[in-house]
This record gives sequence, C-alpha cells and structure tokens, in this order.
Amino acid sequence: MFSYTPLIVLFPLLGFLVLGLFGSRIKNEKLLGILGSGTVGLSFLVAVTLFVQMLGMHPEERKHVVDLFTWISAFTGTSSSLSVSVAYQVDQLSILMTLIVTGVGFLIHVYSIGYMHGDPGFWRFFAYLNLFIFAMLNLVLADNFVLMFLGWEGVGLCSYLLIGFWHDRKFEVGGYKPGTSTTSDAAKKAFIVNRIGDFGFLLAMFLIFVNFGSLNFDAVFGRASVVSEGNSAMVWIGLLLFLGATGKSAQIPLFVWLPDAMAGPTPVSALIHAATMVTAGVYMVARCSVLYALAPTALHVMAIVGALTAIMAATIALVQNDIKKVLAYSTVSQLGYMFLAMGVAAFSAGIFHVLTHAFFKALLFLGSGAVIHAMHDEQDIQKMGGLKHQLPTTYKTFLIGAIAIAGIPPFAGFFSKDEILWRAFSSEYGSIGLWAIGVIGAALTAFYMFRLVSLTFEGEKRYGQDLHPHEAPKTMTIPLIILAVLSIVGGFVGIPASLFGGNSIEQWLEPIFAPAYEKLRMEPHPVEITEYLLMLLSVCVAGAGIYCARVVYLRRSKLADSWKAKYPGTYRFLFNKYYVDEMYDTVIVAPTVKVSEGFLWKGIDVKVIDGIVNGSAKLVGMLADVIRRVQTGIAQQYATIFVGGILLLLIWLIVQ
Amino acid sequence: MGITFSDITSSAPLVSLVLFSFLTLIVESWGKDKPVLSYWVSLLGVGVSLALSFGHLGAGIPVFGGMLLQGGFAGYCNLIFLSSAFLTILLSRGYLERMECHRGEFYILILFSTVGMMLMAGALNLITVFLGIELMSVSLYVLAGFMRKKVRSNESALKYFLLGAFATGFLLYGIALIYGTSGTTDLVAISKLFPQLSHNPIFLVGCGLLVVAFSFKIAAVPFHMWAPDVYEGAPTTVSGFMSTGAKAAAFATFLLVFVRVFDIAGTSLSQVIAVIAAASMIVGNVTAVAQTNVKRMLAYSSIAHAGYMLSGIAAANVEGETGILFYLLAYTFVNVGAFGIVSIMERQDDKKLNFEDYEGLSARRPALAVLMTIFMFSLAGIPPFAGFFGKYYVFLAAVKANLTWLAILGVLTSLISVYYYLRLVVLMYFREGDADLDHSVPRRSMIALAIAAISIVVLGLYPSLIVDLTRSFFKI
Amino acid sequence: MDSHAVATGALYGYRNQKSSSTNNFFESSVTLETFLFYTLGAVSVGSALMMVTRRSPVMSALYLILNFFALGGLYLSLHAQFIAFIQILVYAGAIMVLFVFVIMLLNLGDEKKLNERFSWKKIVGAGLSFGVLMELIFVFAFSKANLPPSHFEKATDIGTVENIGMQLFTTFLFPFEVTSVLLLAAIVGAVVLAKKKLN
Repeated sequence: MFSYTPLIVLFPLLGFLVLGLFGSRIKNEKLLGILGSGTVGLSFLVAVTLFVQMLGMHPEERKHVVDLFTWISAFTGTSSSLSVSVAYQVDQLSILMTLIVTGVGFLIHVYSIGYMHGDPGFWRFFAYLNLFIFAMLNLVLADNFVLMFLGWEGVGLCSYLLIGFWHDRKFEVGGYKPGTSTTSDAAKKAFIVNRIGDFGFLLAMFLIFVNFGSLNFDAVFGRASVVSEGNSAMVWIGLLLFLGATGKSAQIPLFVWLPDAMAGPTPVSALIHAATMVTAGVYMVARCSVLYALAPTALHVMAIVGALTAIMAATIALVQNDIKKVLAYSTVSQLGYMFLAMGVAAFSAGIFHVLTHAFFKALLFLGSGAVIHAMHDEQDIQKMGGLKHQLPTTYKTFLIGAIAIAGIPPFAGFFSKDEILWRAFSSEYGSIGLWAIGVIGAALTAFYMFRLVSLTFEGEKRYGQDLHPHEAPKTMTIPLIILAVLSIVGGFVGIPASLFGGNSIEQWLEPIFAPAYEKLRMEPHPVEITEYLLMLLSVCVAGAGIYCARVVYLRRSKLADSWKAKYPGTYRFLFNKYYVDEMYDTVIVAPTVKVSEGFLWKGIDVKVIDGIVNGSAKLVGMLADVIRRVQTGIAQQYATIFVGGILLLLIWLIVQ
Repeated sequence: MGITFSDITSSAPLVSLVLFSFLTLIVESWGKDKPVLSYWVSLLGVGVSLALSFGHLGAGIPVFGGMLLQGGFAGYCNLIFLSSAFLTILLSRGYLERMECHRGEFYILILFSTVGMMLMAGALNLITVFLGIELMSVSLYVLAGFMRKKVRSNESALKYFLLGAFATGFLLYGIALIYGTSGTTDLVAISKLFPQLSHNPIFLVGCGLLVVAFSFKIAAVPFHMWAPDVYEGAPTTVSGFMSTGAKAAAFATFLLVFVRVFDIAGTSLSQVIAVIAAASMIVGNVTAVAQTNVKRMLAYSSIAHAGYMLSGIAAANVEGETGILFYLLAYTFVNVGAFGIVSIMERQDDKKLNFEDYEGLSARRPALAVLMTIFMFSLAGIPPFAGFFGKYYVFLAAVKANLTWLAILGVLTSLISVYYYLRLVVLMYFREGDADLDHSVPRRSMIALAIAAISIVVLGLYPSLIVDLTRSFFKI
Repeated sequence: MDSHAVATGALYGYRNQKSSSTNNFFESSVTLETFLFYTLGAVSVGSALMMVTRRSPVMSALYLILNFFALGGLYLSLHAQFIAFIQILVYAGAIMVLFVFVIMLLNLGDEKKLNERFSWKKIVGAGLSFGVLMELIFVFAFSKANLPPSHFEKATDIGTVENIGMQLFTTFLFPFEVTSVLLLAAIVGAVVLAKKKLN
C-alpha cells in the first residue's frame, strides 16, 4: 500500500500541468473546477486509504520511505559525500499533515469553484492552487531537508503568485504610503520577508550537513540521538531553523507579511495563509524535534517568541476593521500558540492545534469569503451588520468557527488550546508566565472573534440600501458545513486523559516524538486537580471574552467609541500594528534603498557614468567626440580604481 | 619535441575548431555579402567540436610538449565554451539582421574567441595562458564594437580594449615575476616549487598580479568597472557571450592556476580572493537593485555571480572546484538565455531595454515570458533550477574551508538579488502593459532559448550528472 | 622542468650568472654591466615619463623612440642580441613610423586642446601608482629573492638567433603556432573595424 504514496503527490502535479498547459483553452468553468479539485480529491482518497491501513498496523510498521530516484549524489565516498533522493516518507506525522493538506485543500478547491466564478483567471487560479498542493505535499512528505526545502520554496512561490493574483488591485500594504500600493506589492513583501526566513533555513541546512554529514532525516536524527546536549552548533541549528519557521509561519519578527497576504483571493487566504502553508514552520519544528531536544535554549526562545506573538497579534486583532485582517492577525496569534506548544516541548499538542486550527480557521476564512462575496467585495466590518438574516448558513457556520477558536467545550479549539495551556503550565520547559500570557491571549481571542461576529452578522445593518446580500451558492456552502462539523467534532481525537479520553492523537504521534522526549527526559504527568482548575479557568476566561464582546458591540455600542476616544494613543498603537512595518521601513528598507540609490547608483553610476552617457546623447554620431570623452573621462577613472585595487591587494599580500 | 600526430588527435575539438574558423574565413571571402554561409559553417564547426568534446571527457593528458591539457577538466570546460558559442551564434543571426549589421566576420570572431577560451582552460604553461587570454580578448574587443554605426557600441569596444590592455600589462608583469622567481613558465614545474615559493614575496606579488588580471576578465570588484558599460554598449548577444564564455574561460584559468596547480588553500592569496569575492557580491547586488536598464542589471548581476563563484576559488577545495564547474555550466545557459531574450526585445534604436518595457509581456508573448521567468528564477537561485545547486556547492565549499562569513554574506546578498530578478517577473506577469514585439521571433532563436531553458531544468533536477563528472576531473 | 626553463630563458634573455645568495637588488658590486644597466634603465624610465607628460604628440612619439632604443640597449646588455635588434627594427622602425603618420594624418590641431586641466583625479591616479611602485620597491628591496641559477654555460649563447629559432620550433612550437592564429584574429578584427563599406 505504501507504494501508492507517490500518487498523492502526482495527482496535483498532473492537475497543475494540465491546467497550466491547456487551461487557457478550456473555456468551461465546470470542467476546470472538476479537474482542479478532482486531483486533490483523488490525493485525499489515496491518503485516507493509506491512513486506514496504517491504523491497522503495529506502530513500528507505520513508517515507510518510498525512494523514487536519486536526485543529487556528489562526492560519493568522500568525507563530504552528499546524496539526496526524491523520496517520500510516510509516517504518523506526515500522513496527518497530508490528510489536512489534501482534505481541507479539497474543500477549499470546491469552494473556489463558486467563489472564483466568472473570473478571467479562473484556470490560472486552479493551476496555481494545484501547484501549491504539490509543493506542500513535497514539504510534508519529504524524507530529507533538500526536498523539504524545495517544497518550502515552492509553497512560497505559489503564495507569492496567489497573493498577487489580482495584481493591479489597490491594496493597502503596511509600510507603504496609503494609496500607493497594489496587491503585487503585498506579494513582493511576502516573498522578500520569507526569503529572510529561508536564509535561516539554508544556513541551518549547511550546519546540519557539516555536523551530521547528511541531509537525510533518518540519518540526521539517528546521529543526533547520540550527540550530547549543550553542543552550541545544535543551538545554532535550532535557532536558524526557527528563523526559517518565523518567516513561513509569521512569527515575531517576520510576521508582517501575513496580514498583507490577505490581498489574495479569500480561498487562498483560507488554504495557504491559514490552514496549511503557514503551519509548515510548526511541522518543520515537529519534524526536527530531536534536534530541538538537543538545544533547550532554542526551545526557550521559541516558547517566548510564540507566546509574545500570540498576545501581540491578538491585541492588534482587537481593533482591525477589515474582516480578513482580523482573521489574519488571529492566525498569527494561533500560530504563536503552536510555537508556544513546541517551545515547551509539547510537540503533539502543537500538531493537534495545527489540525483543529486548519478546520476552524479555514471555516472562518471561507465564511468571510462568503460575506465578502455577498457584499460585493466590501471588507470593512463597520459597513456590515445584521447579515445573519440574509446569510443564515454562513452565519451559523461562522458562529461555530468562532466558538471553536474561542475555546468553548466541546468544540475542537477547546481541546487543543487547553492542551497547550496546560503544557505551558506543567511542562519542565514551561512556566507560569507563559501560561498566563496564553490565557490572556485566549480571552482576547474570544473577545475579538465575537466582536467580529457581532459587527458582521448581528446588530443593525450599516450598509447601503442598494446592496442586497444573498447566500452563497451550494459549492460554497457545502464546504462550510463540512468544515463546521469538523470544527465541532475535530477535537475529539485529542480528549485528554483527565476528561476520560484516550488522547488518541498524542498516542498516534508518540513514536515520532519519543526520541525527543527521551532526550528531554520528560515524564508523563499524572492527572492533577490543578489541571481541572486551569481548564475551568480558561473556559471562564473565554466565556468572559465572549460576553464582553457582545455587551460592548451589541448592547452598549457607544462604549467602544468612548474607549477609542479615551485612549487614543493605545488605540492608534494597536490599529497601526505596533508600527512594526514603519519601523522596518525606517531601519532596514529605507537605508538599503538610500545606499543603493544615493551612493552606489547615484554617486558612482549616475553622476559619473550616466552623466557622461547622457551628455553623449546630444552628440550621437560624433565618433571623435566619444573617443575623446572615453579617453579623458571614465576609462582613466576606471583604470585609477583598478590601480587602487592592485594597491590594496599587494599591501595585503606583503603584510601577510 | 615538435608536434606529433597524437597531439593532434588528443586535441581534436580544438584543432577542428581552428580549422573550421579558417574554413569560415575562406567561405566568407568567397561568398561576398552572403553571411548566411558563414553562419552555417561556423555553426557546423562549433557543433563538430562540441561532438568531439564529448569524446574527450576522460582522463586529461598534457599535449604539445606539456603546453596544453586536453580532455578531463579542459574537455568539460570546452563543453561550456562551445555551448555558449553555439547558442550565441543561433541567437545572433536574427538579432544582427534586425540591427542591419549581419556580416560573416562576426562568426569568425566568435570562433576565434572560442579557440582562445579553449586554450585558457587547458593552459599548462603561462605562455599558453597569455596567448589564450589575448586571442579571446582581441576577438571580443572587436565583437563589442561590431555595430560600427552605433556610438555606444564603439564606446564599449574602446573602453574594453583600453582597460583590457591595461590588465594585460599586469598579467605580463605577474608572469614575469613568477618566471623570475621560479625560472620556468611551466605550471606543473612551478607547482612542484610552490611550497617553497609561496613564502617568497616577489612570487606572491606575481601571483597577486595574476589574480588582478583574472579578476578583470571575470569582472570582479574592484576590477569590474568596465563591465556595465561594455555589456550595455556591446551587441546584446555578444554581451551574453562575454558574460558566459569569456567569464567561464577566465574562471577555468583561475581554477587551473590557483587551485589545481598552486593549491592556495589557507594562504594569503586565498584571503585576498575571498575579499574580492565579498566585494563583488555586495557591489554587484546592491547596485543592480537600482538599475532601470535590463542590460545593465544583468551586467551588475554578472559581477555578483562572479563573486559567488570566487568564493569557491577562495575555498580552494574539491567542493569549490566542483561547485564552480557546475555553476559555470548552469550560468552559461541562464545568461546566454537571458541576454538572448533581451536581444529579441531590443529595438534597432536602442529602445525597449528598460524594465518597464517588459510590462505585461506574458499576455502577448507567453513563451518568452515563461523562458525569462525560468532564467530569472535560476539566477536568483530558486530550486529546482540549476542556479540553486551552483550556489549551494560554492557556499558549502566556503563553509568547509572555514570561510563561513563568506557563505553567510553570499546567502544574504543573494537574497537581495531575488528582488531585482523577480521585479522583472512581476512586471511581465502582474502588470498591465503593452510589451510586445514588432517582429516575429526566428525559430532558431526560440530553439536556442529552449535548449538553454531545458538544460537549466535538467541540470536542476539531475545535478549529479555533472557533479559526478566534474569530480572525476579533480585528479589532473 | 629544465628544458622549459632553459627555453624560456632563451626567449626572454633571462640571465643570472651570480650565485643566488649575492644577487640582491642593492648589493651587487658595481661593474660595467651594472653601470650600463642603471644608465639604460634611467634613460628608459625618464623617456617614458617624458613621453606621457609631453603636450605635443610628436614630442611624445620621439620620446617613445628613445625609450625603445634604451630598452633595446638593455636587451643587448643582457646578451639578447636577437630581441634587441627586433626591438629596434619592429618598434622603433615600423610601429613608430605608423604612429607618426597617424599623428600627422589626424591633424590634432591646437595643442591646447589636448591640455588636460588640473584635476583631483590625476592626483589620485598618480598617488595610487606611486603607492604600487613603493610596494614593488619594498618587495624587491627587502625580500631574499632566491633566483634560480642560469642553465647556460656561456652567457652569450642565450640570445643567439640559432638558440631562439631552435626553441621556437621545438619546445615552443605550439605557442608559436597559436600566435599565428592570434595575428589572424587581429587582422580580421582590424578589417571589421576599418573596412569602408559597412554592409
């Protein structure tokens, strides 16, 4: 059965090729939609069959590597021999991610058929989506760092292409002057910020290769289990990999691109920027758990960064008015929780949250898409209200998603978030501070989500009379309903022992993380009374958040404005997202541009070279004049610089 | 110690190319005003030499009384030069016809220049190094000024010539100092003396001047000043040829002299080269960001790439050598392709060379846009295109040689480069514009571009094909 | 190795009779040979400087001829008779005549036009060049140059026509042939650039 694994990857690739090559000639949207979503559906089916088979196996048999062909083999037989295969590794972790990617991906593909209806780039959209799924599957199924990096770059590329899908639309990108930026600027920003993360990933790959002599997961992790703790190279590897993760998974300091990535069509936001791609960083950390077990320092950094991101993004989300931006910051915040989990060595709790988050965040994004669709591209929640009557299905499913993310039992979000908070409190690597930040973040989450629900769906309508919102077509509502169901029941795979559940997801993932736990010397915790107390507390906090939001935005709607007026500084600080974009612009972007333009270009190039070249435009045809100019002007100067180079070079050689 | 028959057979690719260049010369003088004949003969010549080169990839042997290395390392480098020449000839015909300066001498000079490159890659004697460089450069000086009616082209040729002559002076002085301290120009003999000579300052200064001369040819900072002007002014396909073939030849000599023969690992020469590499990466990439002219951008990008490859030489280990050889092949296909597309876009009046002239190209010329995207991605080093592995190997080499700072700088600056490479892609795909051509693209040009693009993808997917091959050359 | 060294020695008129320990640049005893060397060297350097600094092109050309003669003398003093005569014949004879013709035909007119203004660029250029010169002097003066010994029994044998011809057509046959290709390329290039009819 494992031999069918490559099919999972192959179908989306085929879909991409067919759509990419012939898509422009196929005029029939239905056919395009079936092609695009069908391939992902087929992959999902294969993955499900595989999963079912694995369920029936002994835990040790569940891991399998399918080697397709040797991709790179260099320096065979030497100390730096490098051999990289295109090989897919199926195990408990990767099959879970594959199920999320193909399953949620399939639903979002189906949804897109309705959402993108009538768009001239319909075929292109599905081609890119298929390419994305292909790249993402390579990322999660890879059995070595190089193939993973290929997928890593591939999803980045697709993200870039899809954010800029409507390239000419105006879009306010953070760090740009208002009104000057378009969606392609957002795409560029995402790409460039991600490259910083990739830089970390690449360097980490070098270090791994230098330290372990291989880039293959099995080899690296096998050799890692005999490395002693406290090796500084391990800390660097851990931190650099985490830098890569902060780029892809939008953590401090590289989170700035994700809110702007909302420039893309909403299904893209749901698929790439909520459910799958942004969790790649979490997956990577989970995959490398053994390496992190050798570098507790890196784990601490990760936990702190995760917690800070969680609360920072949650506070920003409190005051945003763009429906998608609220969700974007919510995603950043939830990703922070996942890294918090990773940082306190609760790897399976983090992956559990990836799973439930994929359900409810995809649901929320698709729901917001349905709202935007109905409101004719209006995204400002201040101009909505009362939509629950016009969009009943969307409202109900959205509400389920909101309850799930707020962490109300028995919805999916409760179990995963509570697991993370409990581990943050009880783990040897956690602390009460981390837990407290997490709980405050949870309250804020509940608040901003119900602010969103209240302003969008309830209360009075605040949009123009000429707008007549109507419920989305079936292709859009059915995925919503399925995801809503999953958002309710999805958490049951991880009911903790304290609630008399088996926590089956933790058991399922246990063999993956066992070596890391062993290195970290983690003991399984007995059920304590504290756990119940904390659980109760977090539910109360979430409930309080919901209640406050409803009071403020439904019953006493003046209250929000009066707060705004009372604390204008705080409000502006939050509304402007802590001025991070502006800070990056002043500290990094502007100086770079200045050095490049002002000194190297305008100084040397424009003044000296172009000055002369421009002057020559008037004298075109006068060859003699050119020769004169060449002889007396720049060529001499070039030679002068040349001699300067020689001078320095010889000094170096002599002094040595 | 004359020339024996086995010398001729062992250097069949070189000899056949020389003969074909003579034949092209004769053919050109027969058929007045029929450059098409020269085109075909030269194409055939390069093709034959290319085919023969494939048979000469085995162990390298010294020929012509130890003057020249043939096969192995040199055979592989010949593949690079000949591929570059082949694609350049294919791309040039249509371009030159449009520019109204299609003359047969162009092809003759390309062939001569390629012969010079082949001499450089196999030079086992400093005299051969010198002659190879001169043969290549003299032909390139003229090729740069081939569009005689254009002021820019003349200016470019003159600048290249003046500065090239300047650099040659230092090359000769360096050779003289090396000869003076070692008593021989034979590289193999010098290599045996190298351990004791490397402490002799006069010898080191001689080597330093060789570094200067080679750095000039590969356009490394601070000896790069000519490159943007020359690349901008020269006929576009010639710029492509210069930035690939000529650069590859200079790198081949660089490798041959400093890594294989002298083994500079860990010496002050290696440090000097590392500093030059770092400066090239920084200046090339940062300046390229501010360019508005695509040809100039590619010129600065080629300076930056020289920097990446130099870090492999500074490392002076197996990985570095393998990395550079792979890099050169990949870069040749990429840059000939990129300049080829620029040459297709360019109009006779020097217009259509700016970034904004590519806006919306994908709508009307999807094939060109896709090809350019592949080239840009490869230049930016995004896998799975070949450019990624080139960078990977040279940076890995730097890390292994304890030049981690250089590798970090390389990765950082190549991040900057992503910006300007992708800017072109963004303009082609995500901006509305009316970029179009007022002429049809000749099929031979499209074939050349397709060969380049396919090679990049294949090299990116199966780098091991080349890497294992080049590894076998490491023993001379 | 030896045969190559011998051969290149013949081509360049390389010579070193003294034992390697005493041939430091400044320590050599004053003989007629060294006297000639320094005199001719001074003349060649001086004439080169004059050539570069003259305003009149004709004057520059004349100083260049003087420079060629001084170099020829240097070759001669190094027992490289053949090279010396070729130097005089080809450079001072043929090439200089060409230069003078070109100067006359171009008719550069007023000398003042060629007069460059004083500029910081010149100062920088001169300073850098001087720096490189100092470095070279430093290296030659303070390094123990272990120059390899000569391979010829009789110093006068090095530069004879027989020896040079012998080497050119045996050891250096290949570079000799390559030079012909180089010249051919240069001819083609000259034709391309100078041909009257453009198309």
